[in-house]
Amino acid sequence: MEFKLTEEQELIRKNMREFADKYVEPIAGEIDENSRHPAEVFKRLAEGDWMGIPIPVEYGGAGADYLIHILAVEELSRSCASTGFTVSIHVGIACMLVLLNGTEEQKQQYLLPMAKGDKLGAFVLTEPGAGTDVMAATTTAVLDGDAYVLNGTKTFTSNGPTGDTYMVFAWTDKAAGRKGMSCFIIPKGTAGMSAGTHFQKMGLRSSQTSEMVFKDCRVPKANLLGKEGAGLVMAMAGFDHGRVGIAAQSLGILQAALDESIRYAKERVQFGNPIARNQAISWMIADMATELSAARFLTYHASWLKDQQRVFSKEAAMAKLYASEAAMRHTIKAVQIHGGYGYCKGAKVERLMRDAKITEIYEGTSEAQRMVISGNVLR
Amino acid sequence: MPGVWIFAERNDLALELLTVAGGLASQTGVKVTAIVPDQGDQADRCIAGGADEIVLLSPLGEDMSLAAWIPVIAAEAKGADPDILLIAATARGKDFAARLAARLDTGLCSNCTALHREGDGTIVMERLAYGGTAVDRVSCSTRPVMATIPPRTFAPAPADTGRSGEIRKLPLPPSTPVRVIARKTKDRSSQDITEAKTVICVGRGMEKEEDINIARQLAELVGGEVGCTRPISEELHWLPDDLCIGLSGVQVKPDLYVGLGVSGQIQHVTGIRGVRVICAVNKDENAPIFQAADLGIIGDLREVMPRLIEELKKATGR
Amino acid sequence: MPNIIACCKWVIDEAYIRKGPAGALDFSTVDYKISDYDRNAIEEAVCLKGLHGGSVTVLTAGAPEAAKGVKDALSRGAEQAFFAGDPSFNQLESSQTAAILGEIIRSRIPYDLVICGEGSSDQYAQQVGPRLAENLGIPCISYVQKLTIGEDGRILAERRVEEGVEVVEAPLPVLVTVLPEINTPRIPGVRDTLTASKKPVVAIKKEELPPVGAARLQTMGMTATRMERNCEKFAATPEEVARFVGALQKLGVIS
Repeated sequence: MEFKLTEEQELIRKNMREFADKYVEPIAGEIDENSRHPAEVFKRLAEGDWMGIPIPVEYGGAGADYLIHILAVEELSRSCASTGFTVSIHVGIACMLVLLNGTEEQKQQYLLPMAKGDKLGAFVLTEPGAGTDVMAATTTAVLDGDAYVLNGTKTFTSNGPTGDTYMVFAWTDKAAGRKGMSCFIIPKGTAGMSAGTHFQKMGLRSSQTSEMVFKDCRVPKANLLGKEGAGLVMAMAGFDHGRVGIAAQSLGILQAALDESIRYAKERVQFGNPIARNQAISWMIADMATELSAARFLTYHASWLKDQQRVFSKEAAMAKLYASEAAMRHTIKAVQIHGGYGYCKGAKVERLMRDAKITEIYEGTSEAQRMVISGNVLR
Repeated sequence: MPGVWIFAERNDLALELLTVAGGLASQTGVKVTAIVPDQGDQADRCIAGGADEIVLLSPLGEDMSLAAWIPVIAAEAKGADPDILLIAATARGKDFAARLAARLDTGLCSNCTALHREGDGTIVMERLAYGGTAVDRVSCSTRPVMATIPPRTFAPAPADTGRSGEIRKLPLPPSTPVRVIARKTKDRSSQDITEAKTVICVGRGMEKEEDINIARQLAELVGGEVGCTRPISEELHWLPDDLCIGLSGVQVKPDLYVGLGVSGQIQHVTGIRGVRVICAVNKDENAPIFQAADLGIIGDLREVMPRLIEELKKATGR
Repeated sequence: MPNIIACCKWVIDEAYIRKGPAGALDFSTVDYKISDYDRNAIEEAVCLKGLHGGSVTVLTAGAPEAAKGVKDALSRGAEQAFFAGDPSFNQLESSQTAAILGEIIRSRIPYDLVICGEGSSDQYAQQVGPRLAENLGIPCISYVQKLTIGEDGRILAERRVEEGVEVVEAPLPVLVTVLPEINTPRIPGVRDTLTASKKPVVAIKKEELPPVGAARLQTMGMTATRMERNCEKFAATPEEVARFVGALQKLGVIS
């Protein structure tokens, strides 16, 4: 057993740290405030092969371990959770879906530009009436000659307004139940597909989220991803990958909360001493550091299992559950440590706390993760 | 032959080195030799400043660089075998010193900020290491002991016009493969605040918008840029947001930061954590900025600023 | 088509040095990095190669752990590296580093141009470049902020000096030390780092080199510059303000 990153992994993490410090940290407050997608940052991320780390080189990626992708999402999220998340869902779900299920033609046509970072991927599953209960979805895809015709409304689509390549899930045979949903790759500009205006969210504000409306949207048969009816299984496998990414995003948020708390607690003087000397504060920081380590081990382990091509659904759910809840718990503490200053706009901990909340909700709520985990251990 | 040698490309720096050289030479009763360019009354001033022997470097051709003298001085030093050789740490001086040290196969303490002779005769020199985090104390076991000394580390040696000394001139060195083809003097254009070597920061303690001109004047004088705290940019709009220093603004890491009327809120102080030397002027003795500062003047800006500008003019010769 | 050597040093990242009680320095949690200005040296070499062709070799001497630094350097665009690693090379003094690098270059690497950072971010002695030039017996152009290679194979360099800029030219081979403003070092991409592991590294053992001479400077002790910022306070009187300015001068922050 070796608890050690390789030299490459360490160097790549360091490079991402430098990248984030230089290009992301300075604008993180602004893009949060303005709910702006920082296209200029994504262009740079593409140049550094950060948008397709675990995708093979022949499909436009960097051909690296999934763990390296996870390290990159973590470091990026330490500066800006929105930017980290956008990379995570693009790579972990959109790119991975095509890599694992696509035909050679689909990989060349859709995966390659996504992995190079020229195109941004989106995952279109959730509907107004179908959140955790995926089976309650109503969007349909009906075969009509050489094309499927999609109708329905999706919501909370991350990268909805800014995406280029959409992974859209719809019923091809509702009666077949779990074997009746299919996934389609739909490029931006396809007639009948439109993105709504993006939602103003509590946190994760620079990540663009919207409704997606499908009205007689004709999608060529060639754009069916995997087999007809395999959609749900593919989505669940996509979630396994994505959840490790959300765990990494949570690690980044938590690490930032710890960094800020340590710094502030040492600097802030009350009653003649830095507040770090108060046990009430130092213990909060001790717990924060401990749970961060625990979350990190869970996350890297899940990622390591993925790289070893082992089953990692349960571990991905555990990592996501623990890391996201730890991030929420401790960003609240971080604000508490900062007192009134932490409650004001411009304090990083205030943004961290708002950003942390979503990690307990998307790509499966904490409750959904517990369902996955209990389903696994009670089997 | 024992002795303390100094070499500086400018007269003012030669006089500063003579302060140290004179002290060291008197401890062992040896002579001080100053190697200086042959310009004006340089030789006389160095003698008045404590040099016993002046070695004049004849003016070089326009296209020749100071480095042309390296082989000549190396030969001189090999012949005379001085104990100590101090060189003014200008860019050219540091380059000169390192190459000379290589030729003399001896040690060189770069950017030496203090030096003294121990009881056993060892010269102990101090320099900063790890970006200013640490002070490294070094000694040198080969001859001569060499050090480069940053400008203004020591006060210039006072003039004693009654002193006398020998003056000799060195023959011009042969030309070198490196030719100087142009010399441009500085033009002061405005810089990015995060790149500036000096930042003058305006805080809420500035009473009027026009007072910012005082900060600009100070910045001009020391070759720096003007920044501000959040209230100045966000509430008063006296300066643009991109000049706002702090947690949610820019982080600056200049060598010198001077806060004028800056109270020192933690959010602001966060933005100047990496500054080498933090100074503050504030009338409130209990302002938190003084806890974050290295040097602070307690006083009213209107009273302090004219005095500060005047003293800085004197010090920098502008 | 110049063959360019960029020299670099793997140093303690000073940001990780902690100050212990009584001025002690705590190195227990330090991380390492390529010395800041050496990144500029490598970047400049790689940019020049982009313009003129040729090759870029990185060269370093240090403790065996510096192998990671070699990988880092290769990820910045050099195509091969020479690395003299030995536990005894951990705290080399400028004269020793220059001697080792000089020996390796003379005996093993054909070159037209050697580029070094102006100084290392740990010792910042600013000596290795000039000493190495002397060791190689080639001209040295230090503190360069702009560098071009002319069609005639001569090098044109802008040196930053106190009063402004000195523009110099020299025939190759030459050694140049560069200032940070000469370029903005790239942040290596993921693939740059992964392919760096596949680039050739010539490892040189201490035994393959002539014995390294004794350090010319001996460190007698190192202490933290200060524990906290201990504000020295001055009054607003003319005498006190003058004393304040004097203190600034002593600290070397005004010129």
